[in-house]
Amino acid sequence: MPPVNRSLLNRLDESWKECTGKGVSVAIIDSGIDTTHPDLEGKVRSSYEASKEGPRVVFNETDSGDSAGHGTACAGIVAGIAPDAEIHSIKVLGSAGIGDGDSFLAGLEFAVKLECKIINLSLGTTKPHYSAPLRDLLDRAYLAGSIVVSAANNLPQPSFPSVFSSSLISVSKHAETDPYKFGFRFGEVIEMTAPGVNVKTAWPGGSHKTITGNSFACPHISAVLSQLLERYPDLTPFEAKSALFAISNSSRSG
Amino acid sequence: MEDQSPERLAAALKRVLETIELADVLTAPFNESIEHLLLASCRGINADGASVLLPYGDEGDLEFKWACGAVSDSLVGARIPAGKGIAGFVFSTGQPMAVSDTEQEASFYSKIDRTTGFSTHTILATPLQFGGEITGVLEYVNREGTPPFEPFSPEEMDLAALYAEAVSSLVHAHNSAEFTGRFGSRVIENALQDSDADSGELLNAIGDSGNQSDAIRLAELVRSVSSLGERERKLCMEILESFKKLTGSGERKA
Repeated sequence: MPPVNRSLLNRLDESWKECTGKGVSVAIIDSGIDTTHPDLEGKVRSSYEASKEGPRVVFNETDSGDSAGHGTACAGIVAGIAPDAEIHSIKVLGSAGIGDGDSFLAGLEFAVKLECKIINLSLGTTKPHYSAPLRDLLDRAYLAGSIVVSAANNLPQPSFPSVFSSSLISVSKHAETDPYKFGFRFGEVIEMTAPGVNVKTAWPGGSHKTITGNSFACPHISAVLSQLLERYPDLTPFEAKSALFAISNSSRSG
Repeated sequence: MEDQSPERLAAALKRVLETIELADVLTAPFNESIEHLLLASCRGINADGASVLLPYGDEGDLEFKWACGAVSDSLVGARIPAGKGIAGFVFSTGQPMAVSDTEQEASFYSKIDRTTGFSTHTILATPLQFGGEITGVLEYVNREGTPPFEPFSPEEMDLAALYAEAVSSLVHAHNSAEFTGRFGSRVIENALQDSDADSGELLNAIGDSGNQSDAIRLAELVRSVSSLGERERKLCMEILESFKKLTGSGERKA
């Protein structure tokens, strides 16, 4: 682990906004990515897909694209803000028998094994029995230096892992359109807000869609983090969250 | 049923029949309530149509079970493969989302639109959940009037989540009543098969002259035809399928 840079907050300047995410790996655990989309050509460094071998979930390289559109939309947002970020697609949704909590957890574990610096999780599960293993996995990601960014859901019931605010960065949507105008709500379980309303982004088949959801606020933060990490490559997950707080439209609740 | 005397069996079956009748009495109003709620929520959200999708089979496929709007009749019964399309994603992840400009999408929706003759421009999909589990998807499509349509707003997304809570409770109640009815019918069928007593005599002993007795007589008839051989079975199935298509049924009539 790199040493904690205590003077980071003092020396943060605007120079990171000029960064393009070059050399920063971003895993998108989702429905796959349409790598042939003009907005994404050459930006997706690898594509893996989950499949089941008995009770085990394994990952193999794939060119199966995106079955739902969601992963492509998230990748489009990241690529739009940080065009040189190295995107890795980890498909855990869309194939027969895949899409349950097990494949979701396995995808997260696989992203940590790939040593991705940023892991974008625009999905979650409400099933309580995944809470403990997810918490363990997030701790492992945190200690390995991977920054996990997770979307909250809009439902009255909490979803995992977005409620584990200590070991990840959880995000909900707001109606701002400027990607650099994001909020940090210290004291709230879902700490960050970012653009997620009527976001125009890539969609499979070379098209674009206008979409709304917390899912699309999440990759905004992943993209900003990749810019920050290009400028300050040794940021730990804790420092990264502190940096986001420092540059956000922050507020303290309670 | 340990005591196989016809009188005791008839008494037990009569209680099961009463349960089935009660389940039927409950199923129809639940059905209507869901349809009315869909209509009312369409007005609240300013959508042109709404539908409820529930899991079909064990592979995560979804089936349109209720719908309101221009093509509701042809939509009900249509299926989406596991993890495909926006509804598949919402069901797999529990993340609500809204998408505009879907008319250009070369995926599932265009296929459904070709089948129904409908043109989907904008979609709002939110998960149904009950007891901590994602149980289905509630979808709204388009606006009243002619396109282009305003995308669904975050406030409408929050409102849809509230409607989803009410819909999921009603769906759960409906499915419980329907399951009770089916379970009761299965109990009676099995009892008639296992009993030495003549089914006609048993039904007379039960003293039921309503729909359930007719249904049991029909089941008995089908069972006797089935025992004649494969050719007879297939012929019987074809006749019944044709009758079903002719009457446009598939849903239990109140």
